[in-house]
Amino acid sequence: MSDEVSVRVKGLNKRFGAFVAVSDVSFEVKKGEIFGYLGANGAGKSTTIRMLCGLLSVTSGDVEVAGVDVVHRANAVRHAIGYMSQKFSLYLDLTVSENLEFFGGAYELFGRAFRKRRDAVMHSLALDKLSGELTGSLPAGLRQRLALACAILHEPHVVFLDEPTAGVDPGARRNFWRLIRRLADDGTTIFVTTHYMDEAEYCDRVGLMVAGRLAALDTPEALKRTLVPGRMYELLGADAAEVKKTAKDLALVGVEPFGATLHVRVAEGGPDAATLKRELSSRGVHVANVSDAEVTLEDVFLCVVGGAEKPNKVPEEAKAS
Amino acid sequence: MNRAFRRTMAIAHKEVLHIIRDARSVYMALGLPVVMLMLFGYGISQDVDHIPLSVADEDRTPASRRLSEGLVAAADFVRVEDLPSADDAEAAFRSGRAKAVLAIPRGYGRDLGRGLPAVAQLLVDGSDGTTATIAMGDAAGLVQATSSGRAARASLTEGPRVRARFNPGMRSAYNMVSGVIVLILAMVASLLASLTIAREWERGSMEQLFATPVSRVEIVVGKLIPYTGLGFVQTLLVLTLGSYMFDVPIRGSPVTLFVSSTLFLLAMLGTGLAASIIAKSQLVAVQFAMLVSYMPVAMLSGFMFPIENMPAWLRGLSMVVPGRYYLTTLRGVLLKGNGLDVLAGDVLALAFFAVATLALAVWRFRRRLS
Repeated sequence: MSDEVSVRVKGLNKRFGAFVAVSDVSFEVKKGEIFGYLGANGAGKSTTIRMLCGLLSVTSGDVEVAGVDVVHRANAVRHAIGYMSQKFSLYLDLTVSENLEFFGGAYELFGRAFRKRRDAVMHSLALDKLSGELTGSLPAGLRQRLALACAILHEPHVVFLDEPTAGVDPGARRNFWRLIRRLADDGTTIFVTTHYMDEAEYCDRVGLMVAGRLAALDTPEALKRTLVPGRMYELLGADAAEVKKTAKDLALVGVEPFGATLHVRVAEGGPDAATLKRELSSRGVHVANVSDAEVTLEDVFLCVVGGAEKPNKVPEEAKAS
Repeated sequence: MNRAFRRTMAIAHKEVLHIIRDARSVYMALGLPVVMLMLFGYGISQDVDHIPLSVADEDRTPASRRLSEGLVAAADFVRVEDLPSADDAEAAFRSGRAKAVLAIPRGYGRDLGRGLPAVAQLLVDGSDGTTATIAMGDAAGLVQATSSGRAARASLTEGPRVRARFNPGMRSAYNMVSGVIVLILAMVASLLASLTIAREWERGSMEQLFATPVSRVEIVVGKLIPYTGLGFVQTLLVLTLGSYMFDVPIRGSPVTLFVSSTLFLLAMLGTGLAASIIAKSQLVAVQFAMLVSYMPVAMLSGFMFPIENMPAWLRGLSMVVPGRYYLTTLRGVLLKGNGLDVLAGDVLALAFFAVATLALAVWRFRRRLS
């Protein structure tokens, strides 16, 4: 990562009629950085990414990508960016190499230069053996990798990935992120949206989108430290409602269901695990086990949106696309 | 320019792959012309011949026999049965055994011999309008000729003669082949073109395309190239089959044929693309394209219904149907051997429609999402 700025957004707004999809968003992304854009469906992630790619007009604000003013010169930025849209959008009736050839051609890559680049990309994304396969016959994970290959064929400065791993199995997702990291290490700037909290951990910095606003922006560690201060415990076999009743007495800052367990956060200087268990039992709250827990970005997210709803469960918005 | 050319060729190449991969579009593009040609050539013939004829000859003289045999000899009528009396005509029509009844009254031969006007009657089944009209037309000359005293001694073919120039045998295949070319190009071109852009919207690949340097014009032109090629193959296919199966000649200049076919194809493709761009959904686009291109071409080009017989407002409407001009050009080139000197107006009209529809397509094509 260098100090060179790849993406500069200032006071970005997007309205669809009366609906405000993106409201006063500003940030900068450095060259070679993996910038994660985290938020619920409909929080304005895709709308933002489309404006950055010049696919959607901007209501107000400034967008500069790879040194190009995207608001006024959208066409000038195309060679500098790679884009992978949310909807899987390669041609299923074409083979892997035909898709690559088409997107190569769309970026004026042909002949020897194209073949050299194609072979390099196919090799680095481990697609070598699939060149003759029909794209429609590939599993989701491989299609996603092919879409990435098509998006980076022309060696763009910035790659925009809109929910690249939606519907991909966990193994393939991990693999995909390894490729993304390698791409960033080679100096490509990555702007990626996701609603998988665990994926955001792979990012250098994470921006949290809530209802069109950029609610928080920092490294994953700093977000956890500043937004979820105190200590986090995992409670096994306890009832959330009962634990919440003791919140005032025991200085519990947050009580959130986390899988089959409860995540309970205590303020700075609060009790340790053993003390907490004892205190709960003495108040008649049954708890099987209390252990230290890692603060996750999911906790961060829940803090930021006020614990209202989990990101995956927010209903589809009144359509921001 | 070179870059734009590369990008356009990339689109064209991809489109060729789509066409090849989708067996249905190949069947439709190449199978449909053959099927339509067979259907119109062998099945749906506008020639009315072999009309079932019953003869009620009450005269039974050499003169009356000459009259009935004269009708049958021209191959327009087939004698299916003899009726004892003209009163049985009604029953023959009702049962459908006969479409026409020739009634020759007693004394027909005698009156002819004396040089008096002799009256024989041809009754036709008016419930089948087309057959009735044609049967009456075919027979009128014959009956009149034979019932006049002079003609009784002369051959049946004497009298005022009508000769159809350019198509002496009045073969409907001659009209049909040019009509089928117009219909096929209108249908397949507008249909395939209407699918292609809407499909990109539906699949989401349009958004991907917009993120690349490919421009609107490059997308439209890139998609036009393979479909225009396909249209040429269809035109050649129908012309070849037409000349082998139905002996349809090509008397005029192939260049005029080529130019007018290209322009008509572009106009139909432009209509399909515009429909596709405006509708953004394959289903709506197809219906829209059929409604604005195929239907008018079928109804108002003059192929099925003569434009001269239409009421004034329909004649006016037919002026904006590109198929009308293409049909005129085709008939002119194939049958009359006309060149651009005669057909310039029609070719210009086609050029206008090609430019107008494609301009509409590009104009309505928004590169940004909404």
